[in-house]
Amino acid sequence: MKRIEKLINKTIWAILLSLGMVSCSDKINEQEGQLNADDLDYTNTEDMIDPLVGAYQIFGTRGWEEPLLLSVRGDDVNSGGLGDQQPFWDTDQFIYNKDYWMYNSLFALHYSDIVKLNTAMELVNLYRSYADPSYYDEADQYLAEIKVMRAWLHFNLARNWGDVFIINTTEPDTEYINGTVSKDAMMEYVVAQMNEAIPHLLEARPNERTDIYGGITKYAAMALQAMAYQELENYQEVANVTGEIINSNKFMLYPDFYNLFKTDGEVSDENLWEIQFSDFGNATGDTFYHLYAPFGPTSYTPARANAEGGWGFYEPSMKYIKFMLDRGETVRLQTSVLFTPDGIAEIQSDPNYANLPSFVSNSTPDGDVINNSVRADFFSGKHYMPSNQIVVGRNNYGAGKNYIIVRYAEILLMYAEALTHGASGNSLTADQAVNLVRARAGLGSVSGVTTQMVMDEKLAELAMEWGVRYFDMIRLNWYDELSYDGRNFTADKELLPYPQAQVDALPLNN
Amino acid sequence: MKTRFRLILMLLMISSIGFAQEIQVSGTVTGNEDNMPLPGVSVIISGTARGTSTDFDGNYTLKANQGDVLEFSFVGFKSASVTVGSSSTIDVVLETDVAALDEVVVVGYGTQKKADLTGSIATVKAEEIEKTPAANVMQSMQGKVAGVQIVSAGTPGDSPTVRIRGLGTFGSGTNVLYVVDGMFYDNIDFLNSKDIESINVLKDASSSAIYGVRAANGVVLITTKTGRKNSKPVFEYDGYSGVQFAQNVVQMANAEQFVTMAYESGSEADVQFVLNAMERFGRSRVNPNLPNVNTDWYDEIMREGLISNHSISASGGGENVAYSVGANYLSQEGILDMKNEYERFNIRTKVDVDLSDRFKIGSNLVFSNATKYLPENSAWFKAYFAVPILPVYDFQNTDATPTPYANARAIGYRGSQNPFPDLRYNNNRQKIRKVQTNFYVQTEIIPEKLTFKTVYNANLAAIEQRNVSLPFNIGYGDQRISSISRSDNTYFNQIWDNTLTYEDNFGDHNITLLGGASFRDEAYNSLSGSGGDIRGIQLESSWYLDFSDPDPETRTVSENGRRYYGMSYFARAAYNYKGKYLLYGTIRADGSSKFTQDPWGYFPSVGAGWVISEEGFMQDNGIFDFLKLRAAWGKLGNDNVAPSSGANTTSEVIIAAGNEPLSGVTATSTFTNNTWEVVEEKNFGLNMITLNNRLSIDADYYIRDTHDAIMPVYIPIANVTLQRNSGQIRNQGVEIVLNWNESVNENFSYSIGANFTTLKNETISIEDSRGYIDSGSAEFRQRTMEGEPILAFFGYERIGVYQNQAQIDADPTAQAAIDAGQNIQPGDLIYRDQNGDGQITDEDRVVLGSFLPKFTYGGNIGVNYKNWGFSASFYGQSGNKILNRKRGEIIFTNDTNMDADLAKNRWHGEGTSNEYPSSAGLRKSWNQKLSDFWIEDGDFFRIQNIQLSYTIKGTKLLNGKFPETRLTLTADRPFTFFKYNGFDPEVPNGVDRQTYPIPAVYTVGINVKI
Repeated sequence: MKRIEKLINKTIWAILLSLGMVSCSDKINEQEGQLNADDLDYTNTEDMIDPLVGAYQIFGTRGWEEPLLLSVRGDDVNSGGLGDQQPFWDTDQFIYNKDYWMYNSLFALHYSDIVKLNTAMELVNLYRSYADPSYYDEADQYLAEIKVMRAWLHFNLARNWGDVFIINTTEPDTEYINGTVSKDAMMEYVVAQMNEAIPHLLEARPNERTDIYGGITKYAAMALQAMAYQELENYQEVANVTGEIINSNKFMLYPDFYNLFKTDGEVSDENLWEIQFSDFGNATGDTFYHLYAPFGPTSYTPARANAEGGWGFYEPSMKYIKFMLDRGETVRLQTSVLFTPDGIAEIQSDPNYANLPSFVSNSTPDGDVINNSVRADFFSGKHYMPSNQIVVGRNNYGAGKNYIIVRYAEILLMYAEALTHGASGNSLTADQAVNLVRARAGLGSVSGVTTQMVMDEKLAELAMEWGVRYFDMIRLNWYDELSYDGRNFTADKELLPYPQAQVDALPLNN
Repeated sequence: MKTRFRLILMLLMISSIGFAQEIQVSGTVTGNEDNMPLPGVSVIISGTARGTSTDFDGNYTLKANQGDVLEFSFVGFKSASVTVGSSSTIDVVLETDVAALDEVVVVGYGTQKKADLTGSIATVKAEEIEKTPAANVMQSMQGKVAGVQIVSAGTPGDSPTVRIRGLGTFGSGTNVLYVVDGMFYDNIDFLNSKDIESINVLKDASSSAIYGVRAANGVVLITTKTGRKNSKPVFEYDGYSGVQFAQNVVQMANAEQFVTMAYESGSEADVQFVLNAMERFGRSRVNPNLPNVNTDWYDEIMREGLISNHSISASGGGENVAYSVGANYLSQEGILDMKNEYERFNIRTKVDVDLSDRFKIGSNLVFSNATKYLPENSAWFKAYFAVPILPVYDFQNTDATPTPYANARAIGYRGSQNPFPDLRYNNNRQKIRKVQTNFYVQTEIIPEKLTFKTVYNANLAAIEQRNVSLPFNIGYGDQRISSISRSDNTYFNQIWDNTLTYEDNFGDHNITLLGGASFRDEAYNSLSGSGGDIRGIQLESSWYLDFSDPDPETRTVSENGRRYYGMSYFARAAYNYKGKYLLYGTIRADGSSKFTQDPWGYFPSVGAGWVISEEGFMQDNGIFDFLKLRAAWGKLGNDNVAPSSGANTTSEVIIAAGNEPLSGVTATSTFTNNTWEVVEEKNFGLNMITLNNRLSIDADYYIRDTHDAIMPVYIPIANVTLQRNSGQIRNQGVEIVLNWNESVNENFSYSIGANFTTLKNETISIEDSRGYIDSGSAEFRQRTMEGEPILAFFGYERIGVYQNQAQIDADPTAQAAIDAGQNIQPGDLIYRDQNGDGQITDEDRVVLGSFLPKFTYGGNIGVNYKNWGFSASFYGQSGNKILNRKRGEIIFTNDTNMDADLAKNRWHGEGTSNEYPSSAGLRKSWNQKLSDFWIEDGDFFRIQNIQLSYTIKGTKLLNGKFPETRLTLTADRPFTFFKYNGFDPEVPNGVDRQTYPIPAVYTVGINVKI
């Protein structure tokens, strides 16, 4: 009897021990080591700016290939020589390859950032929903800033691919099943989005902002809206919006064209919108950089030892250089192009250009000496940061250099162009606008400007910047300009083919 | 307790007084093969619990009555019964049990007789493992078990890749589960081969389902050595030392071949670089058109590596205690010429105590302290690319400090190329300390029937990583300031198991029941920091972050951690009728915090077997000594996958605003919400022993499906790849193992073994918006599609090389390409237009093969003659492909070097090659598409191991006290035969970019037992 009792005791003890473990089983519903978005303290309104800063970070982390692919097709710039990234060279020749990773990357990164920006807006809205109504204006301003960034990405997608999707939520699958919208519809969308955003944005120059110095203001939104109108060839609205920017008297051309693209010109009074990069002046530690190496010379002798060169994937065209020499350009040519000795010899091999002005040299004004390169004869000066302006201890090409998205010169020239298309101006005359830009470049005044003259001015002023030239030429159907150096441009080359990986996943057809 | 013990003793004494016929019996038990005494043989009086076991010299003594039957049993030998007569001396010779069917096999949470198994379990014995001089136990298993693929790792201290029955899951969670004395591991690099008693591989789902969680990739059960009760202490020394050599070194193009390729490329720049090299380094006196440099970079970066291993151990036991203790030291140098080595020191103790005949308690501890200096694997890659016209040192490179290494930029190239700065200016150290402990208490609630056991396992691993980048300057902007990054990674895993086991028999019905619960807790934490510009960097004693630039913004610190919990309940029932009809079933319920949708999974399994040879009609059939048919089905869960987050998560970010950092937050917009990845497997098997117990044949056929496989699914627009339950993967195959053993006479015996495995890996279904899953990079695509192997290489099929212009003019696909702007010339590749649309586009890509071998085979031969032993084993595989990415990366930088095979066999005129493009062609995007030009056969055959041994035993030296000594000479992996243009066809994921080559190892060893 006792034995059985003992046996029962032991069994109970064993069962209890097993059951004791059941209490451990609650643990399996826990996910340690992650901070869920739902767990942020949305009642702390002071943190409402955090998702906005996050949005700037999302917007600022552009892949190195994005600006390259957006602009390589223009007659102002070439891909650099043969070598790796052969299909990039092919693209410059208008031989498109839907399987090329750069196409997919540009498409995919733009859309994923749109979704991420939508998420940031959701977070701001969550803070807003718990905030005191006195913070609503601030919340609405943040939302408007993110809308501007999102619209710019949509704008680029439509410019490159035509029919694309509008994505306004964090659940893209519910939106893309509705199909794409046309390029024009996308431009209308951008205009409407900017109309929503503008009333909530600060009436200030980016460098007047104190909360996020250099951040997006009303004028970035207006600039983007004007660009969308321009794509729609609604020149009257282009003139209205750009005229309003001019009339705000907030902006002025930075007097020193060369330094506009260097440290001194960062967040200057000319810049309506720019992405800021920095290492915060420290030789080590955190950085927020764009990768400028693709723009850089493959070999150079930097004034400051150990500064690194680049990859030579972005070569100003001979057509552009000769165009500038023909115009008697000085500072704009010297700023826009880095010359190699081979490149200079190549220009001089044309008897018409045997004698070159003295500033055409393989030494930059800051004393960096550009060497010959396998890939390219020239490199972009607008994407060059003199080695002596890079923080000692940092060697990356263009380390910490900002990336300007829109500057006042472009606004003036957009305004002038619109007037030459017959729009009525509410501000300067077309001549005045063009001459402002020319004066800064050290050129004399002109009068009676025509569309051709504005476009020439735009090429001289804005070459190598964001494909402005290419998109101008296809907007005006000036295909002859794009058919240069053996290329043959036709209307069917305007848009890129959808990347195959996207065709496989989305309701798209090439 | 003590009182009862005494009582029993007294009773025993009384009983011995009561029966006067009782006599003292003694004797020696020896083995039939070598006539050596067998210690630890159990001697029991039949029908009683009375008995003893033999001592170290094989002697036993016990009291028995005349007419009693003594049963002698010992693992690996056939049992013998002797009736006690008038003689007081009974010497017994036990026969080796070749089939070893009474052998007990460790299964999850218990043991089973091998003859009773219904699933597929393979056993590898200690002596097989010990033959391979390797730091990692699993390396020794290569080629020894059918269905287990082991891909060697060349880096000292790294673990080989182990796959059991193919690959049924994506991503990193492909590790098999190692269960070492009950504790779960992903990695067993802390174990010394010498400490292992046996390894059991649970191959099918039915066998491993009791481990439910994490068993989906197969289970390897490892039992470490245990002492034996009532045996004299045995002291053993075992050691070996040897040298490792690189094998099958890739022949690179020499300066002459390289220069020829450069001239033929049609690239002016490439020619210019050659001229630059001649200008800088002078012209060769042999051939004045070549620079006076001809560097063989692989030769420069490699060295011979030493390996040595020393173990001491002692084991034995008294009446109530068994123990086994040991220490081991291993050191291995890498063959990469830098600070690249592995050193490990282990201590081990294992003690089992019988507190009474009911209560047992025991503990096991392994402490392992290892230091690993990691190689800079980029050097393997750079050595491939570095041009042979660049020397290692360049004394004109005056900017270079502290060593004047040559920089390829000096002669015009885009990068520095020279691998030596990587080798000399990096020091990557890991200090790996692991402690594995367990403690158990076992009690018999009903004697010999119902047992309760509770086991607590804890496993602490601390990995200190220190990567030091020494400062250097090799000119031309290639300069670096010093920096240190440190990380402290702590892993702490606990498992607590409670089991109740009930064993009984009712007549001919034998039954075993097991029920249990298990709680798991796996925690991981990593704290890391970095700093730059270290003061006193020249002294290793100042390699601490304290000496880095103190500006707080230049120092970084980060932390991340994870903790997963798991809870499981399980049960097992095994039944057999007369050992003839076998039934087996398990069920396990597992909860894991990695699955947010439903943390619980239920994993059942059943098995059945029929031992035909036990049937009456098969008795004395003269053919089959043993014949069993078996079938099993089971399901098990895989939680060795990326955890679901179950919610959107946030990250801290910074931006720049006017050169000031501003911090903010971003959140994800998509997240994973997964349930269990489940493996379902059917296994059909046959075990047969025939020809007078000499030939054994084991065969298995299996179909293994992974349901709800967690795959990296592409979410378009959001452009994220999510690990999501989204498909089914199937592995199926046949495994056959043949073994022949024969003892010809006392002095001569031999054995021959062979195993064959087939594998068909196939994706059954995928739920992805694109219908396929892409892996690899855009240029080197691997695609998973329905009906094809997972992660298959995906590209164009090359059907030849255009030999002349006429051929191009006649080919519509070439013409279509020319119309699209391509420049097609003789020497370019011809691709198959798969869809026949007249042009080569993305749609013409097809599966070019898988990195998983379709057929693997292994074998061994063992011969013993007197004191001499000889063994040899081999291993081979076929049907797998390797992406030769070293060669393939010419698409990124095409002015660098290449292997000699490519340089020699290039197309350079009509009829010179129909496989390789011309030098100029290598630089065109047309030929740079991923095609089977870049994908090569990975078939190989290797002599895995050759060992010669001599045993000194029973010698009269030192008055017969000379210890038992065994001397061995081993050549491990001495010869490998393959066609692949790389160092080694063993590439874990099939993509050969910077694979550390597998060296051959030659060692001399000695083993002494006292």
